[in-house]
Amino acid sequence: MASYRRRLEQDLEGWIGRGLVPAESRAAILGSVGEARRLDAATALAIIGGLLAGVAMIAFVAANWSDIPRIARFGLVLAVFLGAAGGAAWASAGGRLVTSHVLLSVAALVFAAAIGLTGQIFDIAGDPQAALRAAGLAAALLALAGRSPWAAAVGLALLALGDFTNRSSFAGGQAAWLGWLVVAAPMGVAAALAWRSQALAHVAGIAAILAVMTFDDSLRSRADMVFLSASAVLAAGAAAARVLRDRFEGPAGVLYGWFTWGALVWFGASGFGDHLKGVGHSIAWLALSAGVVVLGRHDRHAPVTAAGVIGLFAAGASLLFNLGVGLMTSAAVFGGAALVALAVAWAMRGRKAA
Amino acid sequence: MKLPSVPVRIVAAAAVLAWALVGLVVREGVARAQGQEVVLPITGYDPRELLTGHYVRFQFRSEFPTGTPCPPGSGGYSRRTDAWVALRRQGDHHVATGAALSREAALKLGEVAVRGDIDCLARGAPETTWVILNLGVDRLHTDQEQAEAIQKVMLATRDGAATGSAVVSVGADGKARLKGLTAGGRRVDLTWF
Repeated sequence: MASYRRRLEQDLEGWIGRGLVPAESRAAILGSVGEARRLDAATALAIIGGLLAGVAMIAFVAANWSDIPRIARFGLVLAVFLGAAGGAAWASAGGRLVTSHVLLSVAALVFAAAIGLTGQIFDIAGDPQAALRAAGLAAALLALAGRSPWAAAVGLALLALGDFTNRSSFAGGQAAWLGWLVVAAPMGVAAALAWRSQALAHVAGIAAILAVMTFDDSLRSRADMVFLSASAVLAAGAAAARVLRDRFEGPAGVLYGWFTWGALVWFGASGFGDHLKGVGHSIAWLALSAGVVVLGRHDRHAPVTAAGVIGLFAAGASLLFNLGVGLMTSAAVFGGAALVALAVAWAMRGRKAA
Repeated sequence: MKLPSVPVRIVAAAAVLAWALVGLVVREGVARAQGQEVVLPITGYDPRELLTGHYVRFQFRSEFPTGTPCPPGSGGYSRRTDAWVALRRQGDHHVATGAALSREAALKLGEVAVRGDIDCLARGAPETTWVILNLGVDRLHTDQEQAEAIQKVMLATRDGAATGSAVVSVGADGKARLKGLTAGGRRVDLTWF
């Protein structure tokens, strides 16, 4: 689906050509569209160059690591972090937002590495989960300070890694029932919309789906109900994101896609438990998937359509499994479903023609 | 109230994070320096063997004559966060005298209590009894030459009696912190430099 900005750019060329709009208004009209800035090739190359320079420096220091005193190593780690963060502040003051976001993301990653390296330099035994979560919180702090969606994406990724990392038995305290993603993912969604960031929307959308897997065993004892609830929440999120597309086109569109995928995935997963398992669940899954395909085509949203198509395949396989019957019965079920789909399509076409 | 500008906020956030890291290092350093020092026997450990990068991986393992009973509480509190190990001095090092679920209970079994648990393997003749301590410390980062030399010594006697010892500081919080390691005539001390 072409974005609104791209379509506007194409239309503007035509309008200017026909004299409907003055050429000097082009920049002002495009500037009024609240969509995230796209990177040009030169900026992308500069970013890659900056990252490669960072890797080269890290490799150089690593090659001479043993010869550097411990306190100097720690100072070096801190200097690299403060250098990246200071660079981000300097770039932000100069209005170079992309550079500032890149440097803040690098600073967030360097701080995550700094936690690990500090533990190694001074042989501080720690809890890997706590280290990853601390790194995630640090990235979130930097993201908030600099209004940087990329640093926020780094933070969400680190918090997700923390949720899926085993807790040390020396960590102390009791394990939580829910992973931190359950809170962090919605915050990431809000930030993606507020900062009009598609990159953060992708990470937050995936985090929202994965958050369900961070539930403690005590919640997993009724896994089917948890998955069904998660599906309902994500479906509501998809509906909200769909409505918000006019206002937050880029990130809301991305979230609409991921939430739809999540809703269908977790609805399907809820049918593998003992309580909801059965033909009824498979038929409901099939119907929901078909509805999602229709919605995706209507909205010209490829990821949503793809979620529906994949859902149809999975739900069909689940139905065959649950029926546990011969091929003739399966053929009758699928034939009936095909007739219903064709009848609905014919009715919709007829209404459109009228 | 007006928020500071973005550059000022970034610098402030970076300063807070840097101070947090420095604070962690200083706090751990002080706790390590002020803790009670114990010396524990160690052996080489790791299915891949000792080194990946420049660190020595080891296990707190003591070997006792056949028929030696396991310390009380061993194996019972495996990986529990509230478990404590009692230690008692025996010659130039310390040995585990039992495990318990509180510091007070552990101190009734030995003179030093440290957070952790005990695994014990009491085997019939001619095998010996192995007592393994899980104290949350199992590696020492050092330079490559040092690490490889220590690895060589510890690998040679991997399945036998301990060939090295670790100096561990037991802090007021009961946490074990490594201070140094001795193996094959080499000694590594954890200092600021």
